[in-house]
Amino acid sequence: MNPITPIINGMKITFKHMFMKPVTLQYPTERPKVAERYRGLHGLKVSHSKAKCVACYLCPTVCPAKCIRVEAGEDANHDKFASVYEIDMLRCIFCGYCVEACPVDALKMTGEFELANYKRSDFLYTKERLLEK
Amino acid sequence: MVNLIIDDKQVTAPKDSTIYDAAKLNGIKIPILCHDKKLKPFGACRMCLVEVEQMKGRQIPACTTPITEGMIIRTATPEIIKARELVLELLLLNHPLDCPVCDKAGDCDLQNLTYDYKVDSNRFSDLKFQHEIDYNNPLIERDMNRCVLCGKCVRICDEIVSYGALTFIDRGIETKIGCEFEKKLDCEFCGSCISVCPVGSLLARPFKFKSRFWALTKHNSVCGYCGTGCNLTLGVKDNKVLTTVYDENQGFHKGQLCVRGRFGYQFINSDKRLTKPLIRKNGTLTESTWDEALELVAGRLKGGSAVAALATPRLTNEELVVFKKLLLDSVGTKNFDHAAGYAHAALTEGFARSFGTSASSASILDIQKSDLLLVIKTDSYETHPVVGFEVNMAVKNKGVKLSVLSDKRGKLSKLPHAQTLVHLPGSEVAVLNAIAKTIIDEKLVNTHAASVPGYAELEKALSAFSAEVVAAQCGLTAADIKKLATDYASAEKAMIIFPVGQAYTGHNADLASAVANLAILTGKYGKEGCGVLCLSEKNNSQGAVDMGFYAQNGGLNGLQILDACTDGTVKTLFVAGENPLTSYPNRSKVKKALEAVEFLIVTELFLTETAAMADVVLPVCSFAEKTGTFTSADRRVQYVKPAISKNSQLKTDFEVFSDLIVKLGGQSSSTPAVLFGEIAATTPGYTGMSHESLKSEGAFAAVSMKPAFVVPQATASVAAEAGKLALVTGSALYHSGTQSQYGEGPMHVCPEGYIELSRADASTYKIAENDLVTVSSAEGSMQLKAKVTPRMPVGVAFAPYHFTAAPINTIWSGAPVTLVSVAK
Ligand code: SF4
Ligand code: SF4
Ligand code: SF4
Ligand code: SF4
Ligand code: SF4
Ligand code: FES
Repeated sequence: MNPITPIINGMKITFKHMFMKPVTLQYPTERPKVAERYRGLHGLKVSHSKAKCVACYLCPTVCPAKCIRVEAGEDANHDKFASVYEIDMLRCIFCGYCVEACPVDALKMTGEFELANYKRSDFLYTKERLLEK
Repeated sequence: MVNLIIDDKQVTAPKDSTIYDAAKLNGIKIPILCHDKKLKPFGACRMCLVEVEQMKGRQIPACTTPITEGMIIRTATPEIIKARELVLELLLLNHPLDCPVCDKAGDCDLQNLTYDYKVDSNRFSDLKFQHEIDYNNPLIERDMNRCVLCGKCVRICDEIVSYGALTFIDRGIETKIGCEFEKKLDCEFCGSCISVCPVGSLLARPFKFKSRFWALTKHNSVCGYCGTGCNLTLGVKDNKVLTTVYDENQGFHKGQLCVRGRFGYQFINSDKRLTKPLIRKNGTLTESTWDEALELVAGRLKGGSAVAALATPRLTNEELVVFKKLLLDSVGTKNFDHAAGYAHAALTEGFARSFGTSASSASILDIQKSDLLLVIKTDSYETHPVVGFEVNMAVKNKGVKLSVLSDKRGKLSKLPHAQTLVHLPGSEVAVLNAIAKTIIDEKLVNTHAASVPGYAELEKALSAFSAEVVAAQCGLTAADIKKLATDYASAEKAMIIFPVGQAYTGHNADLASAVANLAILTGKYGKEGCGVLCLSEKNNSQGAVDMGFYAQNGGLNGLQILDACTDGTVKTLFVAGENPLTSYPNRSKVKKALEAVEFLIVTELFLTETAAMADVVLPVCSFAEKTGTFTSADRRVQYVKPAISKNSQLKTDFEVFSDLIVKLGGQSSSTPAVLFGEIAATTPGYTGMSHESLKSEGAFAAVSMKPAFVVPQATASVAAEAGKLALVTGSALYHSGTQSQYGEGPMHVCPEGYIELSRADASTYKIAENDLVTVSSAEGSMQLKAKVTPRMPVGVAFAPYHFTAAPINTIWSGAPVTLVSVAK
């Protein structure tokens, strides 16, 4: 074989690709389209300007990574609410069991995937941070 | 035994079983919702339907149907399953289904059955209940929307607690459980109704939303309050005791508890607990280290008989024994005691001379097996509520006769057919002597009694106590005394119960001998359902007696120790857990003694007012953080182990005493288990016991008796003075000693001291309920809230002794009866 042939073949492929749509993204200037069912950062749903969570403790019970901490409180109407709701994202395996377990549909997983941080303590997502905005 | 066939299995069961009992006995599970083994069969829910072939295959409730010979029963045919599903569907129809916010979830019978029978849809539809939820009291929340009308709460409150706070109200679909006239719940808050409620209708508010049932670890323990020695399951999460968990298989009482046991656990995890040793420097207690504190204490203990000690009978047997070793061997003093030195006298002196042993001759289990109970003072219910439940059940279910000899009425005297003899305060012994005399006069004496030593002397001494004379002195009628005597003597089995404690100064050695005489005269001891049961006050009072932790061989007793502190012969006082400033009689005297003593060492959980006077305070552990044994009033030796791990800054009393022994050059037992080996080897009745053998269940320490008659000294009943009331002291139902002040439950329902007056006296002195009255005696004067009740006789007042904020020892110097004047 002419030693030049493989180079030309290679160049052909390269040349073809120059006119194809690129598969990579120019992150962060270009943003990916996150699938509907993607399991990213958790969000606590809000209804009537209150978190829907009733602190039933089912999500911490089902969580295989044991990374959810809930503490229940009693409000002025004697109703139960989550006075503490925390997820340790360093331990979460994003399995979504917590969302499935929730009896009142108070929890969801968002498309938010940029969870990098500088400090360990910043991975502890408190109720305020989790509430859907 | 009856033979029958259940689910094609040939089985046998005792004659008086129901189908449910027979099935359970043979390992066949029939679902129940309204049945409880402690209560009478009721048959409200129809979950337990079974088919009986002989009844033409009809579906009948297993929990109410007695078995008969040859019955053929099927418990799970498709029809029965369908019927049970229907029952559940109907129950769920109006049920709010708010499991996510219901504290019962995870432990709920309705939830479990719904899951078992896979009832996930409902063929019917109806509105949910809209009952108002009762948040009126701090301990029990009542949400009738969740109620399945099983009636267990109503029945337990009636059959066992005998309070009757709850009942069915209205009819048909409107039926609900409520209090009389739909008022708010105001009862004795024993929480029994909560424990049996199969759903989340009745919930413990102190535990509300604190944790899920499945997240709790359950630890068996023994109640740290009174001498009943109830078994207890502590619910622990994150090393905190969050609640007590009901276990119907626990103890003689089958999980029943009183308000203190059930709701008084908060002191264990209280923020007020001491965490660091404190040493007085320049007049103020400052935080310090264990090394420094123990070094200082050890130095001060080198004083021989100038050292004295007071211990609380809430310490374990092991701790009391190491403490005793420290004092006897390392320090070299015989001056130690517990319970003010007199509250155990009924045992250590009275029973010791009358029965030859310092323990009761009957157990709590005898109560329901007896034919007649003679209770001295209605206070037995208040001091030992779960013993009170046994009395309730004996009287209501077993037809046991109840006679009460008391200076006031009380809950026990309300039991059906109870005979209450209300005598003038302070005259118990005289009345008991009159009963003894009547027994002798009426020739009701047991044949063996005459040969018991001391019979002749007793007979002679009793000549002054004819029923007529005593009746006239004590405000009774001779006929009543005689009737009580003949009832007691002629009952086949009869038992006497009386409480002792720091507030019951009259319940002393003489009273113990007086009751012992009755039992010995009539031969009612040493047999099932007979004997005398002394209800010792605290959880390990009997243990402290068994361990010999009281003044003996010339040692000073509790009150003498305080005197010796005042006059300077005792220079170092070591107080382990006692709070004499509140609980010993004569506050000013106690205060003077504690001020006078050169060096005061206190081991405590809290900075009590006694601890606040100390030179060194050592923080120690509660019963939930240590290993050891407690001996209940009827000599059940029970094992406790830590339910939570202790704060690393704390030591147990065992460790404190052991460390001090080592510091003073002695050798100490390595662990409580090893020490208990020594106790078992040397304490009569404890032979063969070990921590290992006590782990699953407690054991009774055998009591061997050598009866003798002793002539008890009767004190004259206190002569009433015009314008004065006879004040008797005692325990309130909600409290035990001074420790229950740190339990939030008891403090919610009974937060402060009070004086209880009869209606007649209240109107004489123009005092209304909750008025602040000034109560004065020869000792001093103080202000107390008034409580006007129908149970008090005219001229008599009652006050409990537990409260640091209103210490009754300001006006009480330790006399059984104190004359006081009250004014608004
Ligand atoms: S996604 Fe899974 S691991 Fe993460 S919090 Fe939920 S249950 Fe736990
Ligand atoms: S399962 Fe839902 S309601 Fe329950 S605690 Fe978790 S988020 Fe809250
Ligand atoms: S707490 Fe006790 S006394 Fe009160 S209603 Fe319940 S069972 Fe009855
Ligand atoms: S409140 Fe509870 S115990 Fe009482 S009837 Fe209703 S379900 Fe039964
Ligand atoms: S205080 Fe006494 S009666 Fe009440 S639960 Fe404790 S041991 Fe039982
Ligand atoms: S358990 Fe038998 S009828 Fe309720």
